[in-house]
Amino acid sequence: MEETYEKILREKRRFVIIAITFAFIFYFLLPVSLILFPDTMNRTSFIPGVTWAWVYAFLQIIMIWLLGWLYHLKAKKLDEQTEQMIQEE
Amino acid sequence: MNLTYFLFFICIVVCTLIITYWAAKRSVTTNIFYTAAGSLTGFQNGMAIAGDFISAASFLGIVGTIAFSGYDGFLYSIGFLVSYLVVLFLIAEPVHRLGKYSLGDVICSRFPGSSMRLIMAFGAFTISILYMIPQLVASGFLLRLLLDIDYSVSVLVIGSLMTIYVMFGGMIATSWVQIVKTIVLMSGTFLLSLIVLSNYNWNVPAIISDVKERSPLGEYFFHPGHLFDSPIELISLQLALILGTAGLPHILIRLFTVKNTFEVRRSLLSATWIIGTFYLMTLILGLGTIAFLGYEALAATDSTGNLAAPLLAQAVGGDFLLAFISAVAFTTIVAVVAGLVISATTAFSHDIYHMIWKKGKSTEKEQLYAARWTALAIGLLSTVFALRLETMNVTFLVSMTFIVAASSIFPVLLFTIYWKRFNRTGVVAGMFCGLIASLLLLVLGPHIMDTENGLIARDAIIPLYNPGIIAIPIGFLGAFLGAFLSGGQAKKEASYYAFFKKAQTGSRSRSDAS
Repeated sequence: MEETYEKILREKRRFVIIAITFAFIFYFLLPVSLILFPDTMNRTSFIPGVTWAWVYAFLQIIMIWLLGWLYHLKAKKLDEQTEQMIQEE
Repeated sequence: MNLTYFLFFICIVVCTLIITYWAAKRSVTTNIFYTAAGSLTGFQNGMAIAGDFISAASFLGIVGTIAFSGYDGFLYSIGFLVSYLVVLFLIAEPVHRLGKYSLGDVICSRFPGSSMRLIMAFGAFTISILYMIPQLVASGFLLRLLLDIDYSVSVLVIGSLMTIYVMFGGMIATSWVQIVKTIVLMSGTFLLSLIVLSNYNWNVPAIISDVKERSPLGEYFFHPGHLFDSPIELISLQLALILGTAGLPHILIRLFTVKNTFEVRRSLLSATWIIGTFYLMTLILGLGTIAFLGYEALAATDSTGNLAAPLLAQAVGGDFLLAFISAVAFTTIVAVVAGLVISATTAFSHDIYHMIWKKGKSTEKEQLYAARWTALAIGLLSTVFALRLETMNVTFLVSMTFIVAASSIFPVLLFTIYWKRFNRTGVVAGMFCGLIASLLLLVLGPHIMDTENGLIARDAIIPLYNPGIIAIPIGFLGAFLGAFLSGGQAKKEASYYAFFKKAQTGSRSRSDAS
């Protein structure tokens, strides 16, 4: 029982630490790259007429939706495991 | 005010009052009054969170900022959105599991006692009021511009409506007013975006080339750096935006209105979808405003850019659409301030009156009575303050709230939930260091100290418009050092373990717990 619980907690912690670190780095790299590499960021990207700065900004929104959704899936699975563990108890 | 405006305006007032009447009949217990008894679904709560979060400053301000400053305006909205990941990953589920009605409950589930509750209630109350008064002041100016009614009348109308919603309808009325607001706001902006795009025959490159032609920034409109030219201001603002939401009491108490953590996650996911889509639409509106109206016409009417969306509505859809968008702005304002009134009310009547003063022994009836009177008092006082502040520019306080929240409530909550050695001294030190540092930096900064039109006519001592980069580390450092220097609580590891287990996996749903 305690072992299962530890396992669930470890798995959750691992996911959250990776996800939040990624989100922070991805988020702060935007202003940092705007400051450090303004020329590159203002260059047209693979989409005609759209610069890298805009592509990166839109990617942020996609990143939020994607990470939120991944967390939702993960947490749902872990919640089910916890529920099962409590019932077995 | 012409008849179209008046009809829209009356329609919104009547609809929200019907909601309040319906809610008032149901708000018979404290559980229903403070949290709607956890009865909302995740999606409903997501809409209510979006309604609580998107202020008139976001709606009108960001459209205006994009129209004036291009890229940097959009950068602003991204910060707001990413902050929801911090709430979702770190704060939301533990807060839902540990608290019943307020953030004071969350802290007291680890550190029971009146002093801990008082500090949390003080922080939550201060932040809610600090956010509410400038919103009221801003709404007074806004309605004066939009509907051409007197500042005092606007503030009085909004002040009374928010008080009535909360006083009679509690959390149910507040939630449904916010849900209605989200529906109205999303459909309004969607409609306006479609009209803008169809006017250009769905040809986005044509809009872009018109924008470049009609903005004084020309080719550079789509380049960053027109609003934030100093790197430190930019990073500082982004830091406050990403951490701020996780410390905003009026958003966090919304997590008590659903029944389990699955719904908590669904609330936040829905909120990020709604808010994200909304910000994408504000981008279209911002670009549309410049493409249609040009910079001069916009700057001539209002130098702050707040009227960008209404002016665009008038340009593409005439007076009727302008009236509709003004009604949307009005709903936006009342929904946000109602959320702030209930947040301040909970902090005072549940934490301070019931738990501290009456030592948790007042009856249901007394608690409800106290909550209603508190809502009335808070509503009245804030309205009076807002009326007196007409001549002072306090709108910068809106952006300051994120800094105050990120440097006081957020570090205290984070350490309470995750740090084994955190203790009571840490709570006190963190909260006060954060609050004092952020307010002091505000007073010493260029918002207040300015040689030309500041309250204190001299050069700013700390020349940062966004002092988050200093205040937030001070809040965290205060909490850390307070706990570290007072010796931690290593010997109580077992009790922390039990607490942590409850915070992370406590699976009892709210309906079981209450």
